[in-house]
Amino acid sequence: MSKVSPVSRLCLLSLPLLITGAAGPSRGDEKADLAFFESKIRPALVKHCYECHSEDAKKLGGKLRLDTKEETLRGGESGAALVAGKPEESLLLFALKWEDGLEMPPKEPLPESVVADFEKWIAMGAPDPRSGPPVPVAPPEETRTSHWSFQPVEKPELPTVRDAEWPRSDIDRFLLARIEEAGLAPTADAPPERLVRRLHFDLTGLGPSYDRVGSFVADHAARGDEAVADLVDELLASPHFGERWGRHWLDVARYGESNGNDGLSRNPTFPHAWRYRDYVIDAFNADLPFDVFVREQVAGDLMASADAAERDRRLVATGFLALGAKPAKAMNENFDMDVVDDQIAVVGSGLLGLSVACARCHDHKHDPIPTRDYYALAGIFQSTETMWGLAANEGLTAPATDLHVLATAPRVPPPAGFVETVSPIQSNTGKPKPIPKPKWEPGTPLAMGVRDRPAPEDARINLKGESKKLGDRVPRGFLTACAMPGEKLVERKSESGRLELAEWIARPDHPLTARVFVNRVWRHLFGEGLVATPDDFGVYGERPSHPELLDHLAARFVGELGWSTKALVHELVLSRAYRLDSAADARLAEADPDNRLHARHSRRRLEAEAIRDRLLQASGELDPTRPEGSIIRHRDIMVQLAGSLHEPSRHRSVYLCYLRNSPPPELAPFDLPDALATQGKRETTALPAQSLFFLNSPFVVEQSRILARRLLASPGSAEDGEKEIAAAAIRQVFSRDPLGGEADRIAALARDADAALRGEQPDATLRREMAWAAACQGLLATNEFRYLD
Amino acid sequence: MQPPLSRRRLLRSASCGFGYLALSALCQERALASSALVPKVARHPARAKRVVFLCMSGGPAQLDTFDYKPQTGSKPHPGSVFGFSQHGESGLWISELLPETAKHADKLCVLNGMHADTGNHAQSFHQLHTGDRLRQRPSLGSWISYGLGTENHSLPGFVSLNTSKPQVYSSAFLPSVHQGTPVGVNGEDMSAATIPNISGGHLPASLQRRQLDLVQAMNREHQSLRAGDAALESVIESMELGFRMQSEAPGLLDTSSEPAEVLERYRVGRSVREGTCKPSDFGRQCLLARRLLEAGVRLVELNHGSWDQHKNHRRDLRANCEATDAPIAALLEDLDQRGMLEDTLVVWGGEFGRPGLVPDDGKDETGHNANGFTFWLAGGGVKGGHVHGRTDDTGARAVEGKVHFRDLHATILHLLGLEPDALTYQHEGRPHRLIGPEGGRVAQEIFA
Repeated sequence: MSKVSPVSRLCLLSLPLLITGAAGPSRGDEKADLAFFESKIRPALVKHCYECHSEDAKKLGGKLRLDTKEETLRGGESGAALVAGKPEESLLLFALKWEDGLEMPPKEPLPESVVADFEKWIAMGAPDPRSGPPVPVAPPEETRTSHWSFQPVEKPELPTVRDAEWPRSDIDRFLLARIEEAGLAPTADAPPERLVRRLHFDLTGLGPSYDRVGSFVADHAARGDEAVADLVDELLASPHFGERWGRHWLDVARYGESNGNDGLSRNPTFPHAWRYRDYVIDAFNADLPFDVFVREQVAGDLMASADAAERDRRLVATGFLALGAKPAKAMNENFDMDVVDDQIAVVGSGLLGLSVACARCHDHKHDPIPTRDYYALAGIFQSTETMWGLAANEGLTAPATDLHVLATAPRVPPPAGFVETVSPIQSNTGKPKPIPKPKWEPGTPLAMGVRDRPAPEDARINLKGESKKLGDRVPRGFLTACAMPGEKLVERKSESGRLELAEWIARPDHPLTARVFVNRVWRHLFGEGLVATPDDFGVYGERPSHPELLDHLAARFVGELGWSTKALVHELVLSRAYRLDSAADARLAEADPDNRLHARHSRRRLEAEAIRDRLLQASGELDPTRPEGSIIRHRDIMVQLAGSLHEPSRHRSVYLCYLRNSPPPELAPFDLPDALATQGKRETTALPAQSLFFLNSPFVVEQSRILARRLLASPGSAEDGEKEIAAAAIRQVFSRDPLGGEADRIAALARDADAALRGEQPDATLRREMAWAAACQGLLATNEFRYLD
Repeated sequence: MQPPLSRRRLLRSASCGFGYLALSALCQERALASSALVPKVARHPARAKRVVFLCMSGGPAQLDTFDYKPQTGSKPHPGSVFGFSQHGESGLWISELLPETAKHADKLCVLNGMHADTGNHAQSFHQLHTGDRLRQRPSLGSWISYGLGTENHSLPGFVSLNTSKPQVYSSAFLPSVHQGTPVGVNGEDMSAATIPNISGGHLPASLQRRQLDLVQAMNREHQSLRAGDAALESVIESMELGFRMQSEAPGLLDTSSEPAEVLERYRVGRSVREGTCKPSDFGRQCLLARRLLEAGVRLVELNHGSWDQHKNHRRDLRANCEATDAPIAALLEDLDQRGMLEDTLVVWGGEFGRPGLVPDDGKDETGHNANGFTFWLAGGGVKGGHVHGRTDDTGARAVEGKVHFRDLHATILHLLGLEPDALTYQHEGRPHRLIGPEGGRVAQEIFA
């Protein structure tokens, strides 16, 4: 492991270098001294320091210039530190020696001999002939690097494997080659009852019923792989596929239905954000080709549409760029640029797997994203008008904007008698203020999104990210690091350039777009990405565990599979690797503790949404239909004034209200993303807060009662012995038969509960229900309920 | 041959569970023969048993709080712009903005030679909490909980009040049970802060225990078929902790039984709102901290911010000091009066400091300075009324007695009786520790 992380090196760029004192008395032969400077010092300064410490530096590091004698002696931001004649007191030398936390150049120390030259030079009294105007420095020739993810996707050769019988697909061959290389062998195939659960949850986010498991197991025994293929086709065709995979994408899109804390605790709702949610779900269900999906979200408003419905859909798609969290506008001169920054961030991390946003303030030393590239993109978004709506009419957060008016969506006015109970307040006085009348008739179908500004123009570099300190104007364009053949800057100068950007991102030869997306899909099916940092394919990100496989999949995705997500999922889940058991022998577990070889399946905890959906499935309460809109569709208000806006719901979790900083309470304990930035990888913690949720939350208690009531009311249960009720509970909750002794123990708990509740509930029928509710709650609280093999 | 003792196998055999691993003689004996999986036990007597971290986010201006820099020479230079005077028998210099804290001068061990790697908020804040600038690593509190366990089995070992983001109280790859439990989120009303679902009341406690026994029996069966899955073990332990928390936490978080005098002394409910200074009800945080520490929580983190007063330095710094001064004094007083200060380490500081202003030059703006800034410690075996380390005459740079975050972490662990080099956890094929591969130096000079 390297001594200092790349980040520390990066950060040190901003440390001021202190240069003290004036040149000391020159010693020795002046001519020889100057020759020493010219031969040893100047070349090193030019090569290693001028990039950040000269007149031509894109961002001057620590306000220190080293390109003239005067500037070198004057020093940087905080004062002083080249003491001529005293190397041991010269901070410049500390920095070159990487001592005291000062490390320059930041990437890696100069060779010892060069550092020794500086030491000698300072000891000489730092002779320096450079007075007058600085010599211009040539900019670096190119920013493209040898970093893996910027290289074109090459369709690799299939590897040879020893066990030719094992692979069912090319994917399997790539994986097996590596497993064999490690001297290991894949674990056994998952038994069909595990596989059917895995496929149901992975493809739809819902569990199979007891009967479904049984019928699949029988079908599998009879028809083997054909049964699996049929099941996969059935699940891909289910409307629940889009709900599951749409939610994955909403994590990427940092989807939220309110602005989130603006830094001053104000949090306006986004009453129309849900249209983007539905758009995403529909896009996955319709298997909209991913390149089109990308183009629509970045520039749907600029695409030619076949009809008004398509146009509406594409306007809604641009909500992708509008629904980010915004900081307070109040006292923030950079607000407009902050909005642009969020858009660059979501396009960068979400679509390209690059954190471009750092380049707002400084060149990214390792990721080859220069500040100029950032402002090339920024020009595109500055030429774009972002429409988030009224934002609760709180101008200090985000001033009200226009919205897209949809032509084909139905008008849905607020219900009769609807009165907004949360009134806006004056920020300074805290008193209620009148609500301005919106320009739209009540119920007008509106959508967040973007459109081009009337007069697009190139952006100027914001020095240190400050919009008041402007540098060069940068022609609108894309990222030079992943430049592709035939690529040009934005050509149609009268437009924002967003459409050209969208086309550029969705090019089949783009080195990142397909790689990043197939990796996201892989991760949701295999537990860990081939690149373990799904939002960061840059130099800080992890390297791919299977680079050839990643390229194989990316090439197939844009080629044979025609950017079809469903086809990709189909291909992945029919691989043998996907269908492996999660159990593994000790040797495999020891050899590959993090399962990077995929020689077994990764056991996973269900995500927040799947846990809640499964609770509703278990109680029989789940309403599988899509609810209309969102509970806040008529409420343009401040979330923080409302207490809780959430309402009980029986619909799938994806349709709950994802308010930033106020998540649905039934999902909050389970590692929801904060929706402030792209999050392709959720945490899976096991906090006591989750235990408390299962022990005490009104939601779990309620579902337990309903389940108990259903079990006790089902035909035959009156005569059934208690053990039979317990068995029915297990079948309902886990979709399997009871294991030895299980039903007895559950029945015993119900009996004990009945006895314990005798004092509290004299009514025997009600008491029986409470007792069985306690037993059912126990089943819902188990690990088996939350974990998927 | 006996297989090497893994943490997991050990847990299965040890009745004490996660928390008291480090104290178990069994572990101590067998850890020697095992890998870094087992936390190393205390190798020296602990001077402190618990820590309260007063986290001052945003970068407190050290030159106007604890690092007095009068003007020297004839040319004006950056330095203190507020008045300072000497306090206590020790004659510690403390700013006029902190009159209440100043009354406890003889308890404070001021570290004026702090330095960090970066002047970038997010990264330095992350490093202060986890030792790393970027990666998700266990928080200091998680390491302490892991190393020492909790003194109270009904409470988490690590609680974070008025917290900012989960990354700073995360247990990362350590077992989840060591993750900090947040109480109140920055920007919310601390008087309503609680732990969601902490009480249900739908079942009698004994019945709930009976219910949980069934759950755990099923969990153990489930796990026995999935040997070696650490996540499943974490959940089993976490279920128990959640259950136990119900009995203690609600009462602890309810301060209504505190006498009016106490509420007044801590300034409970009296937030200050001015510029960067956000209402944090720091008084309630300090009072809750005292109650949690008394109940046996190992590390309580409190949060107040933001000290990042770029503009309006004088106004906003004054507000931040006012918001925290009396509450901190009340906490020090109560810990002292209860005899707890002896073994409670109080830590005050933020992710970095600020450059000084030049008096009378009309400017009221400061930036960030990670090259020299101030922390103070109190109690827990450190010298009182003591100053360690020094910045140069302008306060720009630590020049003597330098203490990096890694050194601070090492020092805190050492005071707790833990061996900073040896407190490791195996992850991704190698041992990790709080002080990173670089290591940290224990600042022995400040020990009482």
